[in-house]
Amino acid sequence: MKWLLSVLLASLVTPAWAQPWKVDYARSEIRFVIKQMNVPVEGGFKRFQVTADFDVAKPEQGMFRVEVDVAGIDTGSDEGDAEARRPAWFDAARHPKAVFVSKNIRRDGPGRYVMTGDLTVKGRTRPLSVPLVLTAQRPGGWLASGRFALKRTDFDIGGGEWADPSVVANDIDGRFKLLLMP
Amino acid sequence: MRDRYGWTLISLHWLTLLLILAAYTLGTLLQDMPLSPTKLKLYAWHKWIGMLVLFLLPLRTLLRWRDGFDHRRDLRPWEASLSGGVHAALYVLMLLVPLFGWLHSSAAGFPVVWFGVLPLPDLVGKDKVLAEVFKELHGSAVNLLVMLVALHAAAAVYHHYFRRDGVLARMLPWLRRRT
Repeated sequence: MKWLLSVLLASLVTPAWAQPWKVDYARSEIRFVIKQMNVPVEGGFKRFQVTADFDVAKPEQGMFRVEVDVAGIDTGSDEGDAEARRPAWFDAARHPKAVFVSKNIRRDGPGRYVMTGDLTVKGRTRPLSVPLVLTAQRPGGWLASGRFALKRTDFDIGGGEWADPSVVANDIDGRFKLLLMP
Repeated sequence: MRDRYGWTLISLHWLTLLLILAAYTLGTLLQDMPLSPTKLKLYAWHKWIGMLVLFLLPLRTLLRWRDGFDHRRDLRPWEASLSGGVHAALYVLMLLVPLFGWLHSSAAGFPVVWFGVLPLPDLVGKDKVLAEVFKELHGSAVNLLVMLVALHAAAAVYHHYFRRDGVLARMLPWLRRRT
């Protein structure tokens, strides 16, 4: 009787949507495109950790948290990677992580959501709105994908001699694919 | 009978020389330059100039074919073959040097947007190993081109000062022919 009561109680205090998904990192990616001398150059982040906590039936009540190791940046060239870790860019030694935490998820059509939250990069926190598409995978799990737009000046990424947006553009086109397994 | 190439071809000859010198100077500077906004700008100019050489080449070839003047007409047979061979090699290298550069750029994942306006298609997909291969080929072709340009210029100087047959004056019509 006593164990049944505790199970009942636990089910009451544990919200129904609290379902942490396992992330298949080998098939997940966070990438970006930034224009250099008007040339779109693709890059990405090799290491990141995702906490995805949501019920597929009610993703609106869920939560996403993404932590990116900025030192794991891939800019397409070794000297670009080294430069991006320096203080003028991400200052990876002092700010090793970029963090996004969702605050609100709202439905925007079948399988489509808009996630709003806070993005913190280089110690600067800015609101960010991310369209999110959830696609069921076979045999199981979900693909969470989307694109978002950032301005590097909002986070003081690439200041000093790099400030000129005609050399490295201010606009960053971000995109992600996260494979969530039960 | 006309004793030189048409004005357009003469202009294209000297323009190409200037472009090749500029691209070569930039390429040499870029090799030892640490990453900076200036480097990105110079890299862009290096590629834009290289692509200009590449795209001028078919025009030059067509005009030269239509021009009909044969610069080898006063040469001995062995000289004519050598001159024809060097000229053919120069044209092949003016094709290969920028083409390998373009291939390297594509394979490295940095597309070329000509003069920052016209996006050129990627010739190959992003591939690190392939990028290194094309980089090496670009460099080797450049070295060969530089040697042939030097040989070509040496021949012109030889004709001007030793043979005094007006070969250089044909390409530099404002130069007084030495007699």
